[in-house]
Amino acid sequence: MSKDIILKNGIVYDPKNGIDGEVKDICISDGKIVEKVGEKAKVIDVKGKTVLPGGVDMHSHIVGSKLNFGRAMCPEAHRLEKPMMRTKKTRSGVTGIMFSSYTLGYRYSSMGYTTVIEPALPPMKALGTWEELEDIPNLNKALLPMFGNNMVTYHYVKEGDLSGLAGFISWILKATGGWGVKVVNPGGTYAWAYGKNIREPDTEIPQWGITPREVIRSLVMATESLGLPHVVHLHPNNLGRVGNIHTTIEELDAVKDIKGFKGRKQTIHLTHMSFETLDMVEEGKPEWKDVSSGGLAFAKYMNKNKHFTADLGQITFGPAMTMTGDGPFQFTLHQMTKTKWGNIPVDVELPGGAGIVPYNFEMKSPANSIQWTIPLEFALSVDDIWRVVMTTDHPNAGPFTKYPLVLSWLMSKKQRAIWLDKMHKFARERSTLEGIEREWTMYEATISTRAAPAKILGIDSRKGHLGIGADADVSVYSFNPLKTNLAENPDLIVQGFSESALTILSGEVVAKKGVVQKTPHGKVMTLDPQLNDDLAARVASEVEGMITRWYAHSFKNYPAPERYRAHLEERIPLDARSVTA
Amino acid sequence: MTEAEKVFTDVPCTFCGCLCDDIEVEVNDGKIVGIKNGCAICKSRFLKHHENRLEHPSIMKDGEQSSVSLDEAVSKAVEIIASARRLLIYGLSSTENDAHREAYKIAELAGGVVDNTSSVCHGPTILGVQESGEAAGALAEVRNRADLVIYWGSNPLAAHPRHISRYTRVAGEYIKDPKKDRKIWLVDIRKSETARTVDKFIKLQPGTDLEVISSLRALLRGHRLAVDEVGGIPVSELQEAVDAMKNAKYGILFFGLGLTQSKGRFRNIDAAVRLIQDLNSYTKWNMMPMRGHYNVSGANKTSTWQTGYPYAVDFARGYPRYQPGEYTAVDLLARGEVDAMLNIAADPAAHFPKACLKTLSQIPIINIDPKENMTSRLATVNIPVAVAGIECDGAAVRMDGLPLYLHKIIDPPEGVLPDRDVLGMIYKKLEKEVKK
Repeated sequence: MSKDIILKNGIVYDPKNGIDGEVKDICISDGKIVEKVGEKAKVIDVKGKTVLPGGVDMHSHIVGSKLNFGRAMCPEAHRLEKPMMRTKKTRSGVTGIMFSSYTLGYRYSSMGYTTVIEPALPPMKALGTWEELEDIPNLNKALLPMFGNNMVTYHYVKEGDLSGLAGFISWILKATGGWGVKVVNPGGTYAWAYGKNIREPDTEIPQWGITPREVIRSLVMATESLGLPHVVHLHPNNLGRVGNIHTTIEELDAVKDIKGFKGRKQTIHLTHMSFETLDMVEEGKPEWKDVSSGGLAFAKYMNKNKHFTADLGQITFGPAMTMTGDGPFQFTLHQMTKTKWGNIPVDVELPGGAGIVPYNFEMKSPANSIQWTIPLEFALSVDDIWRVVMTTDHPNAGPFTKYPLVLSWLMSKKQRAIWLDKMHKFARERSTLEGIEREWTMYEATISTRAAPAKILGIDSRKGHLGIGADADVSVYSFNPLKTNLAENPDLIVQGFSESALTILSGEVVAKKGVVQKTPHGKVMTLDPQLNDDLAARVASEVEGMITRWYAHSFKNYPAPERYRAHLEERIPLDARSVTA
Repeated sequence: MTEAEKVFTDVPCTFCGCLCDDIEVEVNDGKIVGIKNGCAICKSRFLKHHENRLEHPSIMKDGEQSSVSLDEAVSKAVEIIASARRLLIYGLSSTENDAHREAYKIAELAGGVVDNTSSVCHGPTILGVQESGEAAGALAEVRNRADLVIYWGSNPLAAHPRHISRYTRVAGEYIKDPKKDRKIWLVDIRKSETARTVDKFIKLQPGTDLEVISSLRALLRGHRLAVDEVGGIPVSELQEAVDAMKNAKYGILFFGLGLTQSKGRFRNIDAAVRLIQDLNSYTKWNMMPMRGHYNVSGANKTSTWQTGYPYAVDFARGYPRYQPGEYTAVDLLARGEVDAMLNIAADPAAHFPKACLKTLSQIPIINIDPKENMTSRLATVNIPVAVAGIECDGAAVRMDGLPLYLHKIIDPPEGVLPDRDVLGMIYKKLEKEVKK
């Protein structure tokens, strides 16, 4: 058991508990935030420093086969920045835009992050993912298995069997150790097995006679009937196409009438909105030369429609590695860039496959400069920051190490003006970003990087806040927002968030001044839904039948074995017995 | 014949990259007595797993292997590693993933090089992928959808005996009749036994793969060739092939060492990758290397996630660096650049070129393997280990990237541990040694 700690006199931001920059002590005992600690507690003076809940990243590709494909395909990407040497406490590894497993955990930790979610698990490869999770230290983690192109999903959707679909979701979550339902280009990736894509919600999926609209709706209804903590996590159709803001809004509208579990307001999360809210100039065509920002229009849509949340997928500049379960889009990108193209089909689950293409975002590119404005314009125009999460879709729009830079854009108009000067003129002409006065406060930045993602993931009773009983995941930064005008000093924002003064994971100091001190595992949060016996039995036998018929390996060997999970896993039971058989 | 006391089902076979996981293993009295569903190699692998075993840990003294305790062997191994200036760790492709992870720890601690057997098989494939990418395939997908299958420079009937019967000449969801709805071609320099089972055999002259693939690509792009034949194949036949490939609904190119290790090497793969990429502008095509050792894909994976690089990794500077040709086992040995070797689950003395053998005969080798082989005869230290997937569990990766859990069927011989445990012992002791 680690020693009790008291963080004294820090400037605390804890939006869940309404604390906005108050000087306060935070007490930690046995891995939890507590009301007070005894005299023997270790006193850490954090006077004049900022104290936040540990960072929560709800969408970052940190593990799995597409990441490894990207790592192996692009060794040159590992030498963009200095590698990490082995030390007595830490393993060595590469950095750059993808990182190797150990260094990824260390770098996140040294930036004050304590929880990171992998948002695209091909379920049948769960075993390999768990092996790799073992080698990512210093973080709590969770996995979102993909369901949107899975033939078993399609079977239940086609049959209109929502209970069966809910049962299948539960079965996969148990078998793979998943946390929620990810949907990537539903039907479109499947169509890629036929060399095609599906760009609109009502196009029929080859061989199945069902549509993306039906797939999304069915998965949302099944997820809400189960009451999973995290709503459906959607990467919609038509990603990366000029004018796709209409498709995105149509797909969000498609689930608007679905009642949330126990009356919850939000039933869907839209991920990396920057790639999905491309608009076009008046009387333009859906071509890159006519692209304009849809950030403001999408913010207006969000302000009117309360049933969804979104993360940014903010484009940063420089080399990135695009990797997504959206295989057909990646082929289009390859044809545009003429760079390397990797594609990995995953049998019955992602038949067209994930795509991996290196990409360099350039400030002088008209398209890239407009893409840069979209999420900023959006994030600075929405009313409710609790529904907006800062991400870069690591490593797609840039690595997670660019988060401090992204925060500086959101928190400082001065910084935006400096960067707008470097951009192609379209950044000014085809977005409203230049005229936006708003600057996110520390409180808002804390919501978007801590409290909101925790809430959207359904882990907010324990993560993303510093109230009594919360997990003692804390980050301390050395700047003082009460004395320094951060908006006027954007470099301080970048510097300040690049290295935490302290990172505490489950009550243990794991990093100090950007240097990792300890390398505990963190926990992998998984869900263990309990179905009623009839439904569980029915689905188990049906899924066995389909897996045996469609897959080229044994049903028995499908689940990720306990031996690779049990010691890492924090399995959270979920009573879903009310779903009828 | 007596009935087996115990039958294990759905067991993955740990021989080739197919990792067939439908094997039934019959056990009587702690011994494997029967195998169902496996090919001839699989049967031999399971039924004869106890033959030719290294019986004891041993240390070479005066040209003879003399038995020692496990602790003594581990101590000697640590002594060799600690006094080495440039250590090479090699092999790994015929053991399970946790053993790899321990091996990387040792390499990092000792500042050595770690390389796996892909540097002598599909290393050029990896280089080709690093050049151009790869539209990778998946095996169930092939079974369910492929209407045109090409094996190029591989002889599955001999090397992957169930590949054809399990994945290609078999019905799938959208291929109801695997003989009528699916065509299988073989491209090779000689009429192998596989040639007799396919729908079309294309014979090319040795060393002309690159020209033939490049010509296919040119024809696909609508160029006219100024010659009548390429690699001994009439251009008209190549045109027919291209048309068929373009008109397939879903094609898959399986390729073997005939493509990776013949003249052109990684350039052949680069060209093949680009041909497949080009075909995707018309229809659906993927490709897949016919990985040989059952877990060579796993060795690439584990190395990649821990170090960023799939093979040929050097830790001399305290962090991983990658350079095939520089940090690959054959090159290091041929140049006489290493002064000690830790060999795990491979037999370099049997398979490496002559230039390497000189070095191998001069440097201390720590050999970790279940069985006797050429390398064990040369080794300064031999440590016998359990056979993964028979005597201990673990994880391995199929040729299409699917991870599979390996089962423990029976106990290993007394006192014999899994690779990962032996390597873990070496690491622990070495760590103490390094701290001194």
